Amino acid sequence: MTDILDTPAEPTFRERHASTIRTMRLYARTFRNNGAAMIGLLIIAGFMFLVIFGPSIVPYPEDALGATHIEQKLQPPSADHWFGTDEVGNDVFTRVVIGARVSLQIGLIITGISMLIGVPLGIIAGYVGGWVEESIMRITDIFLSIPGLILAIAIVGVLGPGIGNAMLAISLVWWPGYVRLVQAKTLSLKSAIYVDAARSMGASKMRIVFVHILPNCLSPIIVKVSMDMGMAILYAASLGFLGLGAQPPFPEWGAMISVGRNYLPDWWWYSFFPGLAIFLTVLGFNLLGDGLRDILDPRGRE
Amino acid sequence: MKDMSRRSFGRLVKACAVAGLAVASLGATMEPATAFERVDGGKVLVIAGRQPVSTLDPSVKYNASIRTLQQALYDALVKYDGNPPQVKPWLAESWEQSEDGKTWIFKLVEGAKFHSGNPVNAEAIKYSFTRTLELNKGPSWMLSDFLKPEGIVVVDDHTVQFNLEKPYAAFLSFLPWWYIMDPAVVGAHVEGDDYGQKWLTENEAGSGPYKLKRFDQGTLYEVERVKDYWKGDGGSNIEGIVYKLIRETSAQRAALMRGEADIVLDLSPDEFDQVAKAKGIKTSTEPALTAFGLKFNTKGKYMSDKNLRKAVAHAFDYDALVAIFNGKAVLQTSPFTDDIKGKIDVPGIPRHDVEKAKEYLAKSQWPEGGIELEYVYVQGLEVERLMGLVLIDNLKPLNITLKMVPLTWPNLVARGSKPETAADLMAIFATPVSVDPDAVAYQYHPDSWGKYYGTHFYDNPKVTELIEKARYTTDWEERAPMYAEIQKLIVEDQPEIFGMMRKRLVAYRDYVTGFSYTPVRMTSEVDYYGLGIGK
Amino acid sequence: MLQMIGKRSILMLGMLLGLLVITFSISHIAPGDPAALAAGPDATQEMIDQVREEYGFDKPLVEQFVIYVGGIFEGDLGRSVYTTRPVAQDLMVYFPATLELVIYSILFAIILGVPMGVISAVKQNGWVDNLVRFVSSSGVGLPMFWLGLMLQLYFGLQLGWFPLGGRLDLMTDPPTTITGMYTIDALLTLKFNVFFEALHHMVLPAIALSFPALASIVRVNRAEMIETLSLDYMTNARAQGISKFRMIAAYALKNAMLPTLAIIGLRFGWMLGGTVLIESVFDWPGVGLYALQAVTASDFEPVMAVTLILGAWFMLTNFLIDIIYGILDPRVRGRA
Repeated sequence: MTDILDTPAEPTFRERHASTIRTMRLYARTFRNNGAAMIGLLIIAGFMFLVIFGPSIVPYPEDALGATHIEQKLQPPSADHWFGTDEVGNDVFTRVVIGARVSLQIGLIITGISMLIGVPLGIIAGYVGGWVEESIMRITDIFLSIPGLILAIAIVGVLGPGIGNAMLAISLVWWPGYVRLVQAKTLSLKSAIYVDAARSMGASKMRIVFVHILPNCLSPIIVKVSMDMGMAILYAASLGFLGLGAQPPFPEWGAMISVGRNYLPDWWWYSFFPGLAIFLTVLGFNLLGDGLRDILDPRGRE
Repeated sequence: MKDMSRRSFGRLVKACAVAGLAVASLGATMEPATAFERVDGGKVLVIAGRQPVSTLDPSVKYNASIRTLQQALYDALVKYDGNPPQVKPWLAESWEQSEDGKTWIFKLVEGAKFHSGNPVNAEAIKYSFTRTLELNKGPSWMLSDFLKPEGIVVVDDHTVQFNLEKPYAAFLSFLPWWYIMDPAVVGAHVEGDDYGQKWLTENEAGSGPYKLKRFDQGTLYEVERVKDYWKGDGGSNIEGIVYKLIRETSAQRAALMRGEADIVLDLSPDEFDQVAKAKGIKTSTEPALTAFGLKFNTKGKYMSDKNLRKAVAHAFDYDALVAIFNGKAVLQTSPFTDDIKGKIDVPGIPRHDVEKAKEYLAKSQWPEGGIELEYVYVQGLEVERLMGLVLIDNLKPLNITLKMVPLTWPNLVARGSKPETAADLMAIFATPVSVDPDAVAYQYHPDSWGKYYGTHFYDNPKVTELIEKARYTTDWEERAPMYAEIQKLIVEDQPEIFGMMRKRLVAYRDYVTGFSYTPVRMTSEVDYYGLGIGK
Repeated sequence: MLQMIGKRSILMLGMLLGLLVITFSISHIAPGDPAALAAGPDATQEMIDQVREEYGFDKPLVEQFVIYVGGIFEGDLGRSVYTTRPVAQDLMVYFPATLELVIYSILFAIILGVPMGVISAVKQNGWVDNLVRFVSSSGVGLPMFWLGLMLQLYFGLQLGWFPLGGRLDLMTDPPTTITGMYTIDALLTLKFNVFFEALHHMVLPAIALSFPALASIVRVNRAEMIETLSLDYMTNARAQGISKFRMIAAYALKNAMLPTLAIIGLRFGWMLGGTVLIESVFDWPGVGLYALQAVTASDFEPVMAVTLILGAWFMLTNFLIDIIYGILDPRVRGRA
């Protein structure tokens, strides 16, 4: 029989993280109720399935790496080739599926680099304030006032076409968004009570940033990343469409549409399916991002 | 709330419906324009192509689009016609040559006039040839070794004599490309010592069947027919011809189908097959003198290694070349194409043989491969892009990677003009200017370095010597074996992957008449004379 | 109010300077000798040296920047190797084409988008609302160039209702240039058939270009309207018996317009970028296509000039939107 004087038993995992678990369940419930977000989740789940298992399930894996079978070119969708074949005889279905993996890589790299540049700058701007903040924010504003695709084209234009340069260029267009977001959040957190408390206890600046500010920026960043993934993929596809991104025989959706354009309208499948893939993927990420925002950051607006 | 929103909703629907109807009615009333109707009567043919015309000056430059216009605006002493191509009288009605091949006398037709009204006389001939030789650009290379301005003699108003430095059997075969300009008009527009080049870039001083009407650099070039052309209208009944730049081949095809263009020049083999099936479209599939080569830079870091060249040449799948053209191509069996006089089937010309390729690679400086080669091709030319993709696949067994670099034609030519900047492989279609073997052989002479067909920088002194000897020999019995030897030596040295002779693919609407063709013209070069519209 | 405008103007000038710095930096990270690049592929060594002196490529960077900015003020934006004409001259021809397309597109997006958002919010969960929500959600993700291709394929080629590209039919002469925008010039010179033809050519590109903006505007407007309509003062207004139309238009819409305006501004920027894609698909001779052709020919001056001009244009538009914002929202006026 437990006694009030007995030391209490070690709290179980459930008890220790009770509040976190409760929050997670609330999130899950809210998310589930949001129809659109569930669709988004479904789409992205399908996308991730293709990314992970794609190479093992595609019927003609060598077609994604540049094998050519000119005799089979431009065949319409059939049992052998669900999405038809392209101008060198590659199976379009295979290339679209492998393209999912490529797109994810592109999206991750772009958002990764943007975060790497943008988040630290944002925190510095928000926390340090003064003229440092002013200058960083002004530079950010300038970058944000150049239409993104044009700036990306200009950068790729001077560096030369290629998927690497395209990703670099898009990252350079994307990072200001993160600066803005993180700076605003840092600003509001700076005057939060627990930060004051930490400072008064003599915590160093670094500690405050890493322990208090950064973790609390995480949720808006996560929301932004999930929205951005779709847009980053769209940007890369746009550059690919213009011929400035991925170069053949790289299986990137935008580049496929660019070549497929020469084969409209008779061989429509070549442009249609990669385009459909882009549309669904971006839609999925957008819906997912919306859903995440509704649960993590309900008062935020686009 | 309900009646209010219903009202505003109703208003919105009405507005949309009206707007939609207006837009749709616009669509319905506007039928696709038929290209040859003009607002002020008279029919104009529209030709769509991708190559812009940088200059009209006959002494300065020539390529497919430029020469198309030059041939329409100007005349030459003679003209190529027919298949196989033959030299026909044009401004010259007859000619004779001396026994030793060094003296040629041309009698001019009576009544030939420039657009200015000035007569085309022997003075004009001398002036034009002199101008081209002195500027030393464009077609000058064809005759500059043999003819000096002093050698051109005006015998009388209608007779001109050419005294060559050395006998040149091929002399006549180059003359169709030497256009005759109006000395008075050119002289009136000379600026400083430019010999009139600035003015002749966007203007003309010719006597040809067409006059220049509009020169919209980068967009369109319009010519109007000279109704009282001294040689007659050749069956033509049109007001003029517009050459419109449409860079995307799919847009060219769409223009043809919708009747916005009457003749299109650059369809890919697949697009061509599709339009051939359509109603109202006729197609022309003709053999051409055009050779194709993936030229190696024999002075470059990698391709100076002959074994590597041979390895790549044997790794290439030549059948794919024919498949890319949907069967409308024939593999070359020699550096010379089939219509060239004196062409032989060179034994041992490489074909797809992976084993042999690996053998050669083992003897090269990179027996394991592991290198990246650069392949430069014309941006937008789908067939060349496809060849690159095939090559990437073919080089995998050799462990060699390929980087594909699309460039605009001027940039490609610029890169290929110096051995330091030329790429390892460059895709070049080369149409010789005549059926005489010298026209092709000369592409392998050091004098051709820097030109678009000389990007291999081929350097074999024995071949060079043979080429020069064969030029000055007049007796065909003596020349033929020299050219046979030249062909064998070139194949042995492998300065390029010898490709295929593609058939010319031109698609046009069935009401176009008078479309004539001769294999010596470049791939998208058209002879305007005689084009008309009928039913 | 005037103070706000003044402060904003100074800010904008500063940003323009920053823009110049950015375009200058980009053009100097190009690999290779900048003088050789500017002179073009056919240039001889002496021509390259001449260009180097003219543009001061051998001088220190700061001095080069001053020369660059000075040149721009004189209207010298460099020379295009591809067209062999001064870039400024090319821009005069191509910019109005883009301007025309973008203006019609954004107008279309606003005129269609705002009412759709309003109706969707007012008749929540009706079939209109669900349709609108679907369209607006998918619209943001739809690749603009793909939509353009599909429209071109179906309405242009298959049905033949609309032309496939270009601003006018092949044989039609454009109206005399007053603004460079064919529709306006045609009206001004009373050439009504040219006006309709230009409009006809613009339908498909404008729809494709405006679609993402349309979707975005509808979404935001709808969300804002829903929120505003549920606020207390709306209940108050309803109780006061103010007519529903006035309620929606004067009260709710005015306040919902603020974030919508911000979205319009943002989307306008995307549109300026997206115009490259649409111009490419529809062969529309605007600055986007001009820049793209320059890039493929390794010709940098036009690309920098287009970046500059579109960036400046976007800044100007944002500036104007800020002012409108200030007029609509008194809270903003006080702030700097």
